This record gives sequence, structure tokens and C-alpha cells, in this order.
Amino acid sequence: MRSHELLRDDSQPIGIEISKLGAVAPKEHLIRFGFGAILAAAAGGIGMLFGPKAGGLFLAFPAILPASLTLIEKKEGKAEAWADASGGIIGAIGLAGFAGTAYLLLEAAGPVLALAAALAVWAGVSLAMYAAVRATRLDRMLDEHIAKE
Amino acid sequence: MSALLTLLVKAIVAGVMVVLFALIGEAVKPKRFAGLFAAAPAIALASLLITALTRGAPAAVPFTLGMLAGSAGMVAYCLVCLVTLDRLHALAGSLTAWVAWVLVAGGIYFAVLR
Repeated sequence: MRSHELLRDDSQPIGIEISKLGAVAPKEHLIRFGFGAILAAAAGGIGMLFGPKAGGLFLAFPAILPASLTLIEKKEGKAEAWADASGGIIGAIGLAGFAGTAYLLLEAAGPVLALAAALAVWAGVSLAMYAAVRATRLDRMLDEHIAKE
Repeated sequence: MSALLTLLVKAIVAGVMVVLFALIGEAVKPKRFAGLFAAAPAIALASLLITALTRGAPAAVPFTLGMLAGSAGMVAYCLVCLVTLDRLHALAGSLTAWVAWVLVAGGIYFAVLR
């Protein structure tokens, strides 16, 4: 893996490139839809068979990541796939915030409000952590020291 | 709504949510930022909402406890991915890292939740 590729990627400002969506093949959408649908059905089925706590484990199972990382490596290279997985660490910490908020609010606030709040917590935690990583230049340090030439 | 029909609705809504979050991940840059959306609560959002609407909010609460353990597993998975992706192809590396999720999420489940 090339650390200079990671450094170049991380030095970009945060932004949106809508034009990149045109390069996504319909097959990629279908693969992701299929993985998502199968995992949701599996979580529900496991919940019925082994109890809701066991089913809940699979609401945070990385089923889609292998497909996503493989597609990224194929289209953009290994360094980009590695960067995507490293961002996943931050998103996964936010995921715990989502689950904790939903646990606390579901009965008290009702499903719609509780899940909207949980989504906001996921976004808030993830964005704050990402901003902290960028501000402290931890991302560049990772690029320079962990990614092997 | 029958259990089977509920599962089907959950599957379809979750699939759509996954595609939506993936589209955001495709469009944003840099890639590390896009990675946040790889761990978005797409499936959880669909699944918990439908469970709570069809069976009541108390029925969805235990799922969130399991999800907390699963989230810890997801953090471990992504950390291990950094090592396995560096050494293997993306598919082999990302599938191998599932072991980390199983150990951490399964470990917490059997130690605390069961």
C-alpha cells in the first residue's frame, strides 16, 4: 500500500462529488440491496429463533463491508479501501451511540422520535470524531506510519 | 401483519436504506470520511422501526442491547481490517476480519447479554 496515496486522499477538503454517482453500476446497487435485505431478514429470523438480543447483534454485523471494500479496491485501489475501513472505525463507534440512544429513548419517546434522535447521535458522534481526527492530524500520522510502502 | 410478511418488509426497507447510505458514501470525499457511511445504521434503522411499529416499542428494546455488542464487534472488525487489508486482497482481508466481529460481539453476548 502506498502511504502517499493515503496522504493525497486525506489532504482533500470534505466535499460531495455528485458526478461520481454516475459511475456506480446498477449491479453494485443490487449487490448492496441484496446484502442489506438478507442481513435484515437474518437478524429478524435469529431474533425469532434465539431471542431479540441475539438478533440485535446482527444489526451491527459488517455484512456489506466485504462487498464495498472489494468494489473500492477494484475501482480505486487498495489504499482507498484501507482508508474506507479506517473511517468505518469511527462510524462503528457512532453506531454504539445509535444503539445506546435507541435503548434509552424507544419506550419513553416512541419509535419515530427515538430513532431520529439515535440517527442524529450516530451522525453527531461520527462527525465530531472525524473532525477531531482531522484537526489533530491523526489521519496523516496514520497514513505516514501505519500504511506500509 | 404476519411474521413472514414483517420479515419481508424489513428486508426490502433495509436493502433500500443500505443503498441510500452507500450512495452518500460513494459521493463524499475524502475516502476516510466516506468510510463513516460504511458503518451507518441502515439495517438497524429499518429493522428497529418496523419492529417497534408492528409489535410496540418494548419489543424493539432488547434488539438495541444486542446491537451494542454488535457495535463493539464492528469496531474490532474495522481495526482488524486495517491489518488484513494491508496483507491480503480486499475480499479475503475483509472476510477474514469477520473473526474479530464474531469473537468480540459473541464474547460480549455470551458474557453479559445471554
